[in-house]
Amino acid sequence: MSSNPACQTFLPMLSPFVDGELLPAQRVEVERHIAVCHDCTGRVADFRAESGLVRLGMEMLADEADFSQFAQGVMARITPYKLPLLDRWKLSLSEIFAHQRAALAYALAGAACALLVAVPWLMRDREPVGYASPQMAVESVNAERGARISPVVKRAKDGNTIIWLVDTPVPAEDAGTPGARGEELPQGLGEEMDEELEMERPMGNGEKALDPQRPTGGEL
Amino acid sequence: MATDDLTLVKRVREGDQRAFRLLVERYQRKVYAIALGMVKDKHEAMDVSQEAFIKVYKYLPHFKGDSSFYTWLYRITVNASIDVIRRRGGGRLEMVEFDETLQLDSPDAHIGALGSRLGTNPQKSALRRELAEKIQEALEQVPEKHRAILLLREVEGLSYEELATTLEIPKGTVMSRLFHARAKVQKLLSEYLELDEAKSGVGTE
Repeated sequence: MSSNPACQTFLPMLSPFVDGELLPAQRVEVERHIAVCHDCTGRVADFRAESGLVRLGMEMLADEADFSQFAQGVMARITPYKLPLLDRWKLSLSEIFAHQRAALAYALAGAACALLVAVPWLMRDREPVGYASPQMAVESVNAERGARISPVVKRAKDGNTIIWLVDTPVPAEDAGTPGARGEELPQGLGEEMDEELEMERPMGNGEKALDPQRPTGGEL
Repeated sequence: MATDDLTLVKRVREGDQRAFRLLVERYQRKVYAIALGMVKDKHEAMDVSQEAFIKVYKYLPHFKGDSSFYTWLYRITVNASIDVIRRRGGGRLEMVEFDETLQLDSPDAHIGALGSRLGTNPQKSALRRELAEKIQEALEQVPEKHRAILLLREVEGLSYEELATTLEIPKGTVMSRLFHARAKVQKLLSEYLELDEAKSGVGTE
């Protein structure tokens, strides 16, 4: 035990003094004391030496350990948190926007380029959609009231048939023909015509030109 | 720039396991150093370190963020180490405990012995493996609670405030335990160095 009674006052302050944990005023007091106290100067030196030794000693021993498999071992033993699907999507999106903006931009640009190339390429041999499509079926045909219509039937090589209607001048004796009064033609009209006509044009060369005010074709 | 701990913690909570791996890689060596100082055995220290990280992951949703992530991690490491020591000792609590009052128990003969032999700033190059092992042995002679506080202070560099938070003790107790732990380790190391000096001499800085 120290012979200097003042040491008992300063003893508890030596360890925090070495650690820099004293208030400035306390620090000044300790500095004044150790300037005149040989024992406390030695104790402070001991604290510092011990502090450095323990740190270096444990670091040296820790350096000898192999951590190459450590993180992998920990990760293998943990069970991932199961977040709700919506939260996982949100997390993925927020991660992408937060950390992988450049990669996202490149990916979008690449996808756009791929679409520009792929879509025309895929569409090049595709069957037509809509008019002239094999899937197209005539449900009904409407004609203007009083119009006289005649079917034009065109049969394709693969057996499909296109039927369209053309206006023809209305002779006085045909006024009662179905369809000429705006009546709806029955479904399957095309099939009936198809058997009779390979290619029919009801208007001959000698017929009059159509009235420009009247419709020029039937609506499919 | 490295992502800070709390950002990584937030990402882990959201299910990002890569963020947890980053935390493991950041603290694995420090956690191991504490565990090794506490349990001494290398394999046990490695197991304790892994257990500590697994516990951290398990309880991360309950981490409030009031304190630093690492103080929380170190507390779990210290507690896991103490569990191992107690299991090893057959479940008995360590009976050796210092009086928490501050009294210098080292004889005057040892005052300044450590500082004069090693200097106040020992260099790693001057440290021999034998001395490192002696330090570990000296730590083993210190009660668990004092050992933990010494390791957290000397190896991890925690402030007194952080020590108080980590170990959930008042700041006055931190000062007291640290003082006693240091005095004990100083005494043991001084004795070792005197013995060693008598045989072959010890290099200083």
